[in-house]
This record gives sequence, C-alpha cells and structure tokens, in this order.
Amino acid sequence: MAAPTLKRAIYIILAATGVGLALVALFLLSRTAQNSDDFDRLHNVILSINIAGVFVLFMLLVGNLARLLREYRGHVPGAKLKARIVGMFVGLAVLPLLVVFYFSMQFINKGIDTWFNVEVKAGMENALRLSRSALEMQMREHLNSTQEIAQRLGNVSGRQLVFELSMLRRESGASEITIYGSNNRILATSSDRSLAGLPRPLIEEVRVQMQQDRPYVALDPEDYEIRTAVTFSVSGRGQPAGVVLAHYPVPERLARMANSVDKSYREYQQLEFLREPLKSTFSLTLTVVLMLSLLTAIYGAFVLSRRLVAPIQDLVAGTRAVAEGDFDMRLPTPTRDEIGFLISSFNDMTQRLASARREASLSQALVEAERANLEVILARLSTGVLALESDMRIRTANRASGAILNVSLENHVGESLVDLAKGHPLLDQFVDVAQVHLGAGETDWREQIVLRGEVGRRVLTCACTTLPGDEDHAAGYVIVFDDITALLQAQRDAAWGEVARRLAHEIKNPLTPIQLSAERLRRKYLDSMSEEEAQVLDRATHTIVQQVEAMKEMVNAFSDYARTPDIEIGKFSMDKLAHEVVDLYRAQESGIEIVLTSDPTMPMIEADIGRVRQILHNLIRNATEALENTDAGRIDVHVSAAEIDTVNVMLIKVEDNGPGFREASLSQVFDPYVTTKPKGTGLGLAIVKKLVEEHMGTIRAYNGKEGGAVISIRLPLNEAAREAMIAKAPGRAELRRERA
Amino acid sequence: MSRAVIKQHHSLWYRVLLGLPALLALGSSLGQDEIEREGYFEVRSASTELVGGVHTLDARLQLVLSSEALAALSSGVPLTIELQMEIIRERRFYIDDLTAELAVRYELEYRPLSQRYIVRNLNSGDQDSFATLYSALNSLGRVQDLPLLDDALLENDKRYRVRVRVLLNTQQYPAPLRLLFFWRDQWQLQSDWFEWQLQR
Repeated sequence: MAAPTLKRAIYIILAATGVGLALVALFLLSRTAQNSDDFDRLHNVILSINIAGVFVLFMLLVGNLARLLREYRGHVPGAKLKARIVGMFVGLAVLPLLVVFYFSMQFINKGIDTWFNVEVKAGMENALRLSRSALEMQMREHLNSTQEIAQRLGNVSGRQLVFELSMLRRESGASEITIYGSNNRILATSSDRSLAGLPRPLIEEVRVQMQQDRPYVALDPEDYEIRTAVTFSVSGRGQPAGVVLAHYPVPERLARMANSVDKSYREYQQLEFLREPLKSTFSLTLTVVLMLSLLTAIYGAFVLSRRLVAPIQDLVAGTRAVAEGDFDMRLPTPTRDEIGFLISSFNDMTQRLASARREASLSQALVEAERANLEVILARLSTGVLALESDMRIRTANRASGAILNVSLENHVGESLVDLAKGHPLLDQFVDVAQVHLGAGETDWREQIVLRGEVGRRVLTCACTTLPGDEDHAAGYVIVFDDITALLQAQRDAAWGEVARRLAHEIKNPLTPIQLSAERLRRKYLDSMSEEEAQVLDRATHTIVQQVEAMKEMVNAFSDYARTPDIEIGKFSMDKLAHEVVDLYRAQESGIEIVLTSDPTMPMIEADIGRVRQILHNLIRNATEALENTDAGRIDVHVSAAEIDTVNVMLIKVEDNGPGFREASLSQVFDPYVTTKPKGTGLGLAIVKKLVEEHMGTIRAYNGKEGGAVISIRLPLNEAAREAMIAKAPGRAELRRERA
Repeated sequence: MSRAVIKQHHSLWYRVLLGLPALLALGSSLGQDEIEREGYFEVRSASTELVGGVHTLDARLQLVLSSEALAALSSGVPLTIELQMEIIRERRFYIDDLTAELAVRYELEYRPLSQRYIVRNLNSGDQDSFATLYSALNSLGRVQDLPLLDDALLENDKRYRVRVRVLLNTQQYPAPLRLLFFWRDQWQLQSDWFEWQLQR
C-alpha cells in the first residue's frame, strides 16, 4: 500500500513541478522577450526551467505511454477505455493547438516581412547613393583645392609660409590647413577654430597614402568634415618637402541631410538584419510555448483518463471478485458523482450478497446438522424405515430395515426394490404386499404382514405414506415397519405364563382333596364292598388317583413354565456339562443310542448353568420321547464353539432319527401345547425356547435331510457376543428389558 | 583552445535540445549557413609596466570576426568588443581573491555613407575612424599604456596575478537577437584568459 502511494506522490510532485516550471518559464519568456534588461540575467534560468519543464513533462508522458501500452497489451481492464479517452483528449488538444500554431507562425513571418518593403529598401539605397555622390563631388572639389594650395605653397619661402597659409585657407574655405614636414613635424598650421588645440600628428592611413605619393581624401563620419592630404615639393626640387592636410567643412544643410540619410539607412539595415533572428526567436518562443502546452495537455489527458477510468477499473476488479465468489470486496467511493453512486450501489450489492450467502450457508449447516441427527436417529431406530421413489427405487433405508428384511438395503440405495427382492424371500414377500397396495393406488396404508422365512415366521407391522414431492423428485413413499415377532411371542409367552400360573393355582388346589377323597373312599369302602363292587371302586379310585397324579405332574410342568427365576450367569465348561447330561440318559438304558460330539478344548461359556442343563435335558428327553416307537433310535448331540458373523457362539445341535416335525406345524413347534409326540405336555420346546431367548440366543427347528427332527441352538459365548446378538436382532433388547 | 571549449559546451546544449522536435526544427533552419568564417579572438601577448606608481597594460589582440558578425557589422549593427582585466591576489591555503576587475569596451561601427569604420572607446568616448576593417581591428588589437591599477591599492607583501581576455559582448542587442546569438557559435567570440604574474 505504501509503495503505490509513494509512487503516486512522486508523480504528483513531478507533474506539479513540470507545470509550475513551465508556467514560470512562460511568464519569464514573455517578460524578457519585451524587456531586454532582464534577459541576460534570466536567460539561462529561463532556458533551464523551460528545458527542465519540457523534459519532466516528456519523461512523464513517456512513462505514462509505456504504462498504457503495457496495460493495453496485457488486456488490463479499463486500458482500452483509457487509451480511447487519451486519444480523444489529445486529438481535442493537439488539433486546435496546431492550427493556432500554424496561423501564428504564418502571421509572424508574413507580418514581419511586410515591414520590409522592397521599394522602401531601394529608395533608401538610392538616397544613400545620392548623398554619397553629392559628398563625393564636394570631396573632389576640395581635393583639387588642396592640390592647388600645395602647388602654390611650393613657391613660398619658409618665412612667408604661415601668412600665405592663412590666406590660402581663407581662399579655399578650409577650416584647417596644416603642413607637415618630414617625420610628421608640423611646419605650419592655420585654423578658423581659435580654441582648437594643436593639430594631431598624421594618422597612419594618411601616411601610407603619402608614402605612395597618392592624394588622400576622406569624410569624417561624425563631424561631416572632408579631410584631404597631398604631398608638396619645394619648386626646383623633385623630392616632396611635406604633406598638406586640409579640413573642409561640409555645408551644414548638406551635412544634416547626409547624416539623416546615413542614420535612417543604418537603422533600416539593422532592422533588415534583425528580421530573420526576430522571426526565429518568435518562432522559438512560440514553439516552446506550444511544446509546453501540448505536453501539458497530453499529460492532462493521461491524468484525466486515469482519474476517470480508475473507479471503472475498481468496478471491473470488484465484479470479477464477485464472479469468483469473493463478496467481501469493498470498493473505495472516491466521488459523489454518478460513478460514486454506482460504486456505493455495488458495495451495497456485494454486502447484501455476502449476508445472503452467510445466511444460506448457515441454514445449510443447520439442515446438514438436522440431517445428520436424523440419520443417527434412523440408524439407531429399531424400526425399519424405507423411503422409495415413485418407481420403487430405494431412496434411503436405515440399518434396521435391512436387519428385519435380511437384506442390507442401506447399501443398495438407488436400486430398484423389485429387482433386489429376487433371491431374498423375506424382501420378496414384503415387496409383493407393498406392490399390491401401491398398484391399487393406495399410498397411505397400514398392515400387519406375516413373512415366512427359513427361520420361521416374521410378523411386521407396516405403515406407508407418501413423501412430499418437489421439482426434482416425484412423490415417493416411506414405509415404516416393525418386526413384532418377538413382541407377539413375548405377549403369547406372557399369556401362557399367566394361564399356566392360574391353572396351577386353580387346578392344583382341588387336586389334593380329590386325591385324598378318592383314597379315603377306597380305604373306607373297599373292604366293606363286595368283590365285584370292590373291583369297580378300586379301579375307579385308582384311575382318579392316577389321573390326579398326572394332572399334578402337568400342573407342575405349567408351573415350571410360568416360573422365571433370576438368571445367574457363570463360567463353565460346556463340554463337561454335555457329558454329564448325556451320561445320565445313557444310564437309563432305554435302547436309544446317544452320540455326543464335543470338543474338550473349546472355550468356557458364560451362561446360567442350570438353564443350559435344563435345555439339554429337555432336548434329549424330547428326542427320547419322539423315538419311543422307533427301532434303533439314535440321538446325535453336537456341541461346538464357532464364530459366526464375527460373533462367538456356542452351537448346540440335537438330532434324532425319528419321524421329525410335521411340516404344517413346523413354524409353531415352539408354541406351548404343540407336540407330535404321543406323550408329553407340549411344553418342552416352549421352555427350551424361553431359556435360549433368556440367554439372547437363537433356536431353530427343522427336519433333517434324512428325516428326523433337528433342533439347532446358538448361545452367545460371552457378554460381548450377547450384546452383538442383541444388536443384530432388533426387538430383542426391548424384549429383554420387558422381561427384566 | 577556448573555441574548442565553447564549442563543446554548446554541442552539449544542442544535444539536450535534440530531444525536442520543435527546437530541432529551428536548429536545422539556423544551421543552413553558407561557407562561413568562424572567427576567433585571441590574446597574443600582454604585459604590465609600473609607470609612476600605476600599472599600465600593453597587449596585442588578434581579433578575427566571424561571417555573421561581419554581416551584422556591414548592416550597420555596431559590435561591442570588451577587454576584461582581473587582478587576483594569490592565497596559499584559500581560494584566490579577486582584488580588482576592469573592463574596457570598444564599439566598432560601419558608416555606409562615409564607408568608414568607427572605433569608439565607450569608457572614454574617444573615437577614430578607419577606411578599412583591417585597420580598425588592427587599431583595436593594439592596446598601449592602458592604466590598470594604482600600485598603492595593492598590499606590499602579497603576490598578485593579472589576467586578460577579449570577447564580443552581445548584451546591448535586443532580446530576440540575444536569444538567437546564445545558440550561435559565431557569436560566441571569446578568448581564453591570458594570465601572468604581476611584476612590482
């Protein structure tokens, strides 16, 4: 910021100096051109100032021009406009200046020339010649007189010389006659000027003439006196004896006129001589003035164009910055004119744009945050949420939806749900139901769906509604569904538990009095009855007691089912437990072969040992009961640890070679009172399922490939595995809590 | 020597002016000279003599007028030839002191009517006329017994030197002429300083 300011200041100083110098120079020039006294004193100063002014302006102009060219070539915004303005101003300034210059030059040259008329000049020369010939005539006459005097003096003796000289002077009209002897000695003199001093010695000019024996005649240019000199010889002698110098006055009128002619001619000649220098000087002055004016005008054009274009350049830079997304640009408002108004409007605009953008980004961030929140909520939701486009493509799906429908829907966003359903039986049934509704034009519906899968029934409650559409998206749908299988099961289990408890309570109470009454009847009346009657009574009471006993057993079983003691998790060896239980059944020698496959090195399991033992008991007893009518019955018990889907589980599988489950009741084998066996309460598998679920494990019942029933159980090995299994099966946690 | 210096000085001015088109054009118009005589002034010899307590100057000057000066003279323009004299006290550890300066100006003029040249001493008013320019310049170039300075005005134990030069003075001309003469070599007639020790 400092450098441009400094540069600007230097430019301004230079410009001011240039203009100031030029003005001073012009003033001085104009003054000195008229007043010659100051000229010498100021001449050098004026010239220096002039040249400095012109030089400064010239340098400024060169700098400006170079800059303009550079900007023009570099396509700097505003450069073209600046060039045009400069060109326009220069044109405006230069043309009139040149016209004025041309006419001034013409005027000076022609004007000065007209002062010098050819005829005047010829007249002057003629006047001069005329005067000169008039004077020459006089001079010739006077020379003749002097020569006569010299002749006459040759005959005069030395003593009479002075007297004779005065006489001759008066006769000839001379003002002074002097006779010089050899060595310029003055022999005699006569003058009409009494006060005049001694005559001066012969000047060299005269002596030279005399030495060459030639007469001398000259006109004194100041006094208008004709001077003549001739040699004279004494008669009889050949050698010249001396020189006679005679001064004759020119008649006063003639002298005055001659002087006037001489003076006028000289003045005219001087003027004539001055003519060219005068023209040159005026031209020079005019040219310097023109140069200064021209350079100043051109420089002014540069300055003006820069001032005019600067705000426009700012504006261009500003709009560029705005186009590039920089809304924080503020332009300086230099003036209060229209351009200033434009710039302040621009500033307002960018300010508004900036605040609008800030608000937009703020609200966008808000939306993003909302969206993120929603996603987190959706992800954590145990309810499946599936948003579909109108053409059944997946818009969004949460993780729970995938878990419920057994397809990771969240990874197939944008794909068609119908295409995805192929090969996924649960999803296929789900899509069928949905398509039925949507195909019928129903967009808001609610239904409970029962899906049949490999692991049994799955009951979902579905609710569908339309999503609000916008310009880009046609209205889609959102289907919200919950897996309520576990819930229903829990409700059923709870109902059964309640039933069992009531039964146990309501039925068990009268059973004992019934049994006691029957035994009392028997004891009291058996002996007193006839044999035939006694047999009837015996059989009847026996049946009553037996049936009551059976009922008690049944009621106890119900009571067991309903009882839910607190689960006690402990660490124990599954291998050891399996061997204990299996050995117990082997000892009964029921004729059924029990084969245990177990790995002694598998890790310990964290579970309620009592419950797991009961599971094994129930399963083996269930299998044993199922094999009652089967020859060479065999039970295979597999116990192993494995990692399935990154979860460590204990696998327990009990397989028999009996008749297996009836296909029709396969999905309800775990419900109480569902049994295919001749014996049993129908509660064995229900209790097993309950126990497994209390451990957050899973249980499956199916028929083996070679017939026979297979019960497969997965129990979590530890707490971490239990958590993982809860997460994988939504609804279980609620169930667990509910139970807790 | 002096002319060379002057010429160099002026060519520098010209060079500065070369950048300015208008003056360049003017210079070219002024440059159209015929075969010309440049002219020069020179002090051939000079000496002082102490006569009756007054130092008098004897000098021989070579005055050769340039063509332009001659043309001006024949047009009736009087030329002023100035003889400048300076007496300088020499100082050992300081710049020399100008004790006295003296200028004698002569005017040389041609009278067309009488066709004679007038030489006028502007200081004393004495004048002579000559039939030829040669004799006029000859007379001008012979300076004899020009009283310079009273010896009493000088300090006894100091050393002085005298220097003289002769130049064509253009100050009396009108301004337009002088502006022009400033740029013309032919009007820059000026001799070098002729310098010698003052004998006492």
